[in-house]
Amino acid sequence: MQEHIQLTQKEINRDLLSGVLKSPKWWLPAVLVLLVVFLIGAAAFGYLLNKGLGVTGLNRPVMWGVYLVSFVFWIGISHAGIMISAILRLTQAEWRRPVTRAAEVLTVFSLIAALLSAPLVHEGRPWRAGFPIPWIMPWDFARGIWPNIRSPFVWDPSAILTYLTASSLFIYVALIPDLAILRDRLSGWKSGFYSVLSLGWRGSPRQWKLQAVAGILLSALVLPVFVSVHSIVSWDFAVNIGAEGWHSTIFAPYFIIGAIHSGVAAVATVMVAMVWLWGWDRYLRPDHFDAIGRLLIVVGTTWFFFFFLEFVFAMYTLEGPELAMRDLQVFQYPWSILFVVFLITAFFFPVPMWLLKNVRRSMFWMFVTTLSVNVGMWLERFIIIIPGLLRRQPLVFDWGTYHPSIIEILMVAATFAWVLLGLLIFARIFPLIPLFDIKEGMVGREEIKIGRRKVAASIRE
Amino acid sequence: MTENSGGILSQRSIIGLYVDEDAAANAMDGLKAAGFSESEYEILTGTPYPEGTFGEAEPVHKLYRFPLIGAASGFIVGLVLTVGTQLSFPLVTGGKPILSIPPMAIVMYEGTLLGAILFTIFGIIFESRLPRTFMGAYDTRITEGYIGVAVTGEAGKMGPAEEALKAAGAEEVKRGWEKG
Amino acid sequence: MRSGSADDGHTAVSGPVEVSRDLLERTRPASRLFWWAAGGSAALLALGVIGFVIRLGDGIEKTDPWGYYAALVAFLLTTAQAAPMVAIAPRLAKAHWRRPISRAAEIFGVVGVLNLILFIPLVWVLPDLGDGRRSLWFFGEVRSMPAHMPHIVTTISMTALAVVGCALLWVSSLPDLASIRDNSGGRRRRIFAKLANGWHGTSRQWFTQYHRLGILGAFYFMMLVFTHFAFSVEFGMSLVPGWIDALFPATHAANSLQAGVATVLVVMFLLRRFCGFGDYIELDQFWGLGKLLFALSLLWFWFWFSSFIILWYGKKPNEEAVLDLMMVGPYMPAFVTAFVLNFVAPLFMMVWNPVRKSIWGPTLVATGVLIGTLFDRIRIYVSAYTVAGAEDKHEMHLPLPPANLPDLADVLLWVGALGGVALVYLMSTRVIPVINIWEQKEALLYKIHKPFHRTEVLVLGKKD
Repeated sequence: MQEHIQLTQKEINRDLLSGVLKSPKWWLPAVLVLLVVFLIGAAAFGYLLNKGLGVTGLNRPVMWGVYLVSFVFWIGISHAGIMISAILRLTQAEWRRPVTRAAEVLTVFSLIAALLSAPLVHEGRPWRAGFPIPWIMPWDFARGIWPNIRSPFVWDPSAILTYLTASSLFIYVALIPDLAILRDRLSGWKSGFYSVLSLGWRGSPRQWKLQAVAGILLSALVLPVFVSVHSIVSWDFAVNIGAEGWHSTIFAPYFIIGAIHSGVAAVATVMVAMVWLWGWDRYLRPDHFDAIGRLLIVVGTTWFFFFFLEFVFAMYTLEGPELAMRDLQVFQYPWSILFVVFLITAFFFPVPMWLLKNVRRSMFWMFVTTLSVNVGMWLERFIIIIPGLLRRQPLVFDWGTYHPSIIEILMVAATFAWVLLGLLIFARIFPLIPLFDIKEGMVGREEIKIGRRKVAASIRE
Repeated sequence: MTENSGGILSQRSIIGLYVDEDAAANAMDGLKAAGFSESEYEILTGTPYPEGTFGEAEPVHKLYRFPLIGAASGFIVGLVLTVGTQLSFPLVTGGKPILSIPPMAIVMYEGTLLGAILFTIFGIIFESRLPRTFMGAYDTRITEGYIGVAVTGEAGKMGPAEEALKAAGAEEVKRGWEKG
Repeated sequence: MRSGSADDGHTAVSGPVEVSRDLLERTRPASRLFWWAAGGSAALLALGVIGFVIRLGDGIEKTDPWGYYAALVAFLLTTAQAAPMVAIAPRLAKAHWRRPISRAAEIFGVVGVLNLILFIPLVWVLPDLGDGRRSLWFFGEVRSMPAHMPHIVTTISMTALAVVGCALLWVSSLPDLASIRDNSGGRRRRIFAKLANGWHGTSRQWFTQYHRLGILGAFYFMMLVFTHFAFSVEFGMSLVPGWIDALFPATHAANSLQAGVATVLVVMFLLRRFCGFGDYIELDQFWGLGKLLFALSLLWFWFWFSSFIILWYGKKPNEEAVLDLMMVGPYMPAFVTAFVLNFVAPLFMMVWNPVRKSIWGPTLVATGVLIGTLFDRIRIYVSAYTVAGAEDKHEMHLPLPPANLPDLADVLLWVGALGGVALVYLMSTRVIPVINIWEQKEALLYKIHKPFHRTEVLVLGKKD
């Protein structure tokens, strides 16, 4: 059943601007705690810069540790925004309205978290190489050295920076009408701040039309970028023939669908948090959680199919080193434990749960299951990256072990703090639910009477 | 839009505020009947309405040109960048030939899309006629649900405009300045 | 954005009674055109039988002559058998534009039976695992693993797909079969009473109808993906020494979604142009499906490139040999044709609004996609069957065998099979209305035009 709550524009303004116009009680303490965690991570990075990569658990042959896991994880989360907002915009799904902006904002902050996770901190001595992005900035003019575009490490930043630019601008354009609302509600320097940002928006038919076209057109343009980003991240691994388990053609689609799985789950987690923290339960209805739950069933199952293909074709090679690596992943302690936990948290617990309607419509259970997915998906990246590098294979003389050091753990924790901090600060300055989109939904809402039944309907243009 | 020519301060604007959609539509009709051209008045709303709700003309835009131009420029930049770097530093790595097409395609693809997106963003702002430095007659209640009908024109036309706006049952009529 | 124009509503056929009457009348006397088409298809099918007899003369010991035959089965699996997805996916997503075309897509489920028959000889042609090739089954390592595991699994899968396809079609047409029963007499009435299986349209029947369609649809999709997995690996990839491509089964299935949409688009065009269904199949349907085809064409490139870049960058000898065999070597013309028709042409045509939002545009692109898919399947399967007999099953040795060009038997077989598909399809429409009557009537409930202040808007209802 679909419920109807019809609200006036004034009520919508009051509800959804509540986090911007005044600071909720929990806001400042939460921000301070997260800031402390982030600063500890930053201090750990300072220590790393001072002492060198030796303070991490990285050692030959495992030179990519939890930094890379965290990098892939955050790139994965960043796929939520475009999945939700672009695909649902293009398919005109009504339930996208309250979700799009939070998803897009999550994209931006998790992309930055990804950049903080590996590329910027993993250099050893980044200042010598030409901080911040040594391998794509043509730094060494004197010797005529240019970036090697045949390396995936150049493809990668080109894709990520495109994605970051595109999604930030996308958010901004869709924010303009809401900035105008804030401009009209505030006075003094605050109004001035939003006046400048809203560029003198008045709400003429021309401006609204451009907003509508922009939503569709930008979605269509950002989608191909979104697909390319995680494909290219996967190629960082897959074009390599040196590490077992990486050189697989399925990596790009497998990473993409995994990213969508974890990203959409993260959006659902954020949606629950929005209801719990700001009390927006009139906007995020059980219907919305139901819809995202259904979407997650499809995404999760598809992801599992690709995981199955990836695993089956590793066995299909019948190559000794590959089979040894799979044996390590699945049967050797502690990997066996991680593998079981990964499978249960990423698939076997949440997906069957979502088949139950009561679970999909319960915020608590959606919170638990979607959080579980992301625990599993973090482990998935860990299980892909580390065992492949360990070289526990017959006839190999340099086996490795890997334990993340406290420095690595603090820095990874800081990326989580960064994303949460980003969301909280964004929500203090800008509305996290697009007001004009909600209002448009209210205007376009209709009912069709069929006999004794009333069926929810909406106006289509 | 109304930024038509004229001397500085020769333009004035006026706005009528309505609660009801039909009243606002009537005001538009009234203005038309009073001899105002469609470029002289516009409807301001706090939310997008289906096109033509107030009987207004469908806005025409040329947004679709922007991504095409952007994509073309992005493609060219990508091509120059990938070819240029490889030719300037012709070091064979991994057995890949200088000017390998597949990796070039990846970087050029990102360049093309970045160009298209940047131009689209620029196009959206430009085609929305933003930024607008001068608000003219406006009311903050528009973003709260009121519907505004704004008229811009020479000072002499403000009288008939006010009459037409009031005749349709405006809650309030406000006058403002407009940049010439 | 939907067009707010007259394309959305049905101007000619407006009420539920008219819809029923109009569509039922069309199942009655067949036109001359129909019998000409059916007769022509039957003649082609006869040619196909001749082709098959010639092919059998080559024996089944060598795989080379059967390459085009395998490609044919793969082609039908990719196109016709994927077509029901056009009914299933938009139905699950509750897209209204699907209604007039969902039956036309579902009827392709029957073609699954034809393809199952065509598949049978391949079971004999495919060597057993005793030849030492790579397989998914760890033959030789796992004790008691039968050497015919690929044959068994793929046969079960193909059979299940055909059965589910027919079941889906039957369940979805129950209400329409009941309409025919109620509007005819005598023997026809008795036959359709049997077919309609006691359908009277009670609330309970309707309630279970939606559930059955949902479950059967999901099941068809899963069977389709699994069949593509089984067929593409067992009858394609494993025959090529050194070809390890984890994405290939998924690519095969993704291509089938594209080709399935293209198949339905072409059928829609024919229904509109030659069968007078212009009142039902309108711009909206072409536009909706055209957008889907556009997206799937971009997906074609992404799947292809994802495989290609890994093999190209890896540069292992086997990887280079596979690229050589299927893309840049003897089958390059076929690959280039497929690349252009499946990706380049759709991209550069469908990116234009006027082409995408037209009737001829998507149809033209869809025709191209079908031809492209044909060449794509040829370059994969024909090349695989020429190297399947190689001595070394794990390394590809150069020089590669030259391109295997089709002989008379291959041409006859292809023409015959396509004629067979047309014949099966045409005869099915004698029994089952090619436009879904009940979904069409349902649309009248959920889709209304109403005035909205100074304009008119389309209001779409959403069933829960």
